Amino acid sequence: MRALLNQELKCLWNSPWQLALVTYIPLVSILCLWWLFSAGLPRQLPVAVVDQDNSQLTRALTRNLTANSVIKPIAFSQLSDAEAAMKKAEVYAVVVFPHQFKKSLLTSGSPTIDIRYNSQFLLVGKLLSSQLQLSLGAGLMEVAGLKQLLNGVNSASVAVNLSPVTSQTTALFNRNNNYVGFLVPPVLIALLQLLSMMVFVNSLNESLIKKKDSYLIADNFWSQVGCKVLLYTPIMLLHGCFILVLLYGYLGLPIAGSMSLLVTALALMLLAIWPLVILVFLVMREPASNISFGSALFAPAFAFMGVTFPVNDMPLLAQWWRLIMPSSHYIDSHISVISYGADTQQVMLQFLSYWYFLAVAVMAWGLYKILFNKQQKVNGSKSDKLFFKHKSSAKPSNNNNPGAYL
Amino acid sequence: MTWLQLLWAELKAILAEKDIVLTVFGGVLFYSVLYPLPYLNQVPTEQMVVVVDHDNSSLSRQLVRHADASPKINIVAQVGSITEAQQWISESNAHGLLVIPEGFRRNLLLGKGATLSYGGDASYFLIYSAIAEGLISAGMDASKQVQMVGLLARGQNPKQVEQSLNSVNINSVPVFNPSLGYTPYVVPGLFLLILHQTLLIGAGILGAGQWRKKGYWNEVSPLALISARLTVFCVIYAFLSSFYLGYCFYWYGVSVQASLGEVSLFMLPFLLSTSACGIALSCLFVKRELPTQVLLLVSMPILFVSGFVWPLALIPDLLVQVSQVIPAVPAILGMLELNQMGAGWMTVLPQWLQMWALFALFSLLAYIGVKRRLSTPLLRE
Repeated sequence: MRALLNQELKCLWNSPWQLALVTYIPLVSILCLWWLFSAGLPRQLPVAVVDQDNSQLTRALTRNLTANSVIKPIAFSQLSDAEAAMKKAEVYAVVVFPHQFKKSLLTSGSPTIDIRYNSQFLLVGKLLSSQLQLSLGAGLMEVAGLKQLLNGVNSASVAVNLSPVTSQTTALFNRNNNYVGFLVPPVLIALLQLLSMMVFVNSLNESLIKKKDSYLIADNFWSQVGCKVLLYTPIMLLHGCFILVLLYGYLGLPIAGSMSLLVTALALMLLAIWPLVILVFLVMREPASNISFGSALFAPAFAFMGVTFPVNDMPLLAQWWRLIMPSSHYIDSHISVISYGADTQQVMLQFLSYWYFLAVAVMAWGLYKILFNKQQKVNGSKSDKLFFKHKSSAKPSNNNNPGAYL
Repeated sequence: MTWLQLLWAELKAILAEKDIVLTVFGGVLFYSVLYPLPYLNQVPTEQMVVVVDHDNSSLSRQLVRHADASPKINIVAQVGSITEAQQWISESNAHGLLVIPEGFRRNLLLGKGATLSYGGDASYFLIYSAIAEGLISAGMDASKQVQMVGLLARGQNPKQVEQSLNSVNINSVPVFNPSLGYTPYVVPGLFLLILHQTLLIGAGILGAGQWRKKGYWNEVSPLALISARLTVFCVIYAFLSSFYLGYCFYWYGVSVQASLGEVSLFMLPFLLSTSACGIALSCLFVKRELPTQVLLLVSMPILFVSGFVWPLALIPDLLVQVSQVIPAVPAILGMLELNQMGAGWMTVLPQWLQMWALFALFSLLAYIGVKRRLSTPLLRE
């Protein structure tokens, strides 16, 4: 076992790309993705304001919009200019105060304020729509209050008359709707899963024995796999811990449960990734195909996590596909620990959902048996079985020349 | 070797390589189904909400029924206390709560006002916004009802009541994606990125598998090889792009504004610059399993930096500027403006010219790279 582990380390040392994958590439990509979203809260989003009334009231409403941190009003005199700016994505919404807005309001007409928001950029558009309505609503409330006072309503009851039911909306678990807390953890977990997949496939590829045009599986395949698991699980877990420390330690995002549970969950996620990768490996058995197939499988994992779009609203097929991805099992535990402060018992119950990866491991083992028997039969006639036994340690499939990379 | 023979040889080389076929054709077809799959239901509806009703009056029950009637809300239970509601939420049996205070109806009738509390699980933004929208509209409706009854009781004329309740209409309408659907939001940008990445990987694997070996590529000049490879990849991707931008957009209900001519004219430099970029990148690799890994790693950053998920103004400037050399970045934003948001050709001209500039740049790099690769001695078999 120790010899195999040494050999594994030597392989790692001799492969610059693999070495980069387990050292600086994860760190750089994690920091880059965080940096991208580091603004955290959408602020100062440009909004076109077309004021066709130019009254004291519409100017007051525009000032109300300015006071909202999300909105940055930009005055346009022509509707067509605002429309063009919207199509160029220079502004994300247009607010139009109609001609004679104030007059119509004073003479008890009911004028209309038009808002058009860009829903092609869905998240931004929805946010702006609600913030614009909030700001305008607050501004109009003042006007309505004035009207009530003029009608002789007692000043104490004006507020109640205006809105008898006030509402208090709370964003649970993420008070200020911070995007770093919402989007960055699943993005980074998806990244970690991709990296783990690549590291493990690369390492498995080393164990393939090239023979003319085909590749053969080593005799001691499973002990090699055991070594790889022993070596790479802690390394990738360390990168996972870096993510957790960055987000919940350094950035101080709120965390309700305990970090150690999350680390356990991460370890379990990695242990679930390995059988899937082994299965893909045994099915393809060719270095480049292993990677291509693995990528095809793991690349869309982020969409299926159910953080951006809720799981309950996914079609059934998508919900099934979601269960194939270890990351979606992890993210469930992640959110219940981070947000709901789940205790050990609850998280352990969630871990039961990983049973299916045991089935994958069994499938991989069965496939290996079949392949290996076939391999023995083909080669048995040539009676060069010894060749495999020793070849695996002597010559990995790639050339060990570091210059061969990149 | 004539140029036509070279084209034929290129095409055969692409189709003979299992991994390229798997990535280019398999990947593009597989992802056209898989990526939009979670979003097929478009909008989150019927989010589970628990109610804590401390009032238990006719009005509070009506409010609960109205909230339940909202397409966005599904009232799953009424519980006795907020702690119990917390339990429901932490077990993921509910994602939001509505608290109706004690004396809700009484206070309203006495003209004292009351406060309703809504809470939504903001670990999931779409769920939170659906719950907030649904509950707020139900609450506002109840509020208007009470106001109307109050005003009528004071002897106001019903017509005037209607007017004073809705003195200003705020008419807020989404544009470009009128249904607020998630598929039309994600698909246009994402599909261009898939085309971009699979093309780069395909070209990368083809190059990486050929350098330092003997084959038809050694018999021609670098310029001929590059032009042939560009042509073949562009023709293949012209078909795949028409499948994506044509049939898939139609199938997934993406709004399409530009004419066929405009879209083709815009896609031309995109495919050319991406193919050139792929050939240039392929010169960096000699192992066939590397291009996939490198490009897979950069996919997510490219998607987020292209500016349709997260506003460009909030992305650090340095990242935005560096990302401008990736053909997909100007292409995604330009295509969204042209095809989804109905901007004129003049608006996307800068992006179009940028892609031509990138084409020139990557062609030059590809020429240098291919020339060096072809002049290095062959690996002995």
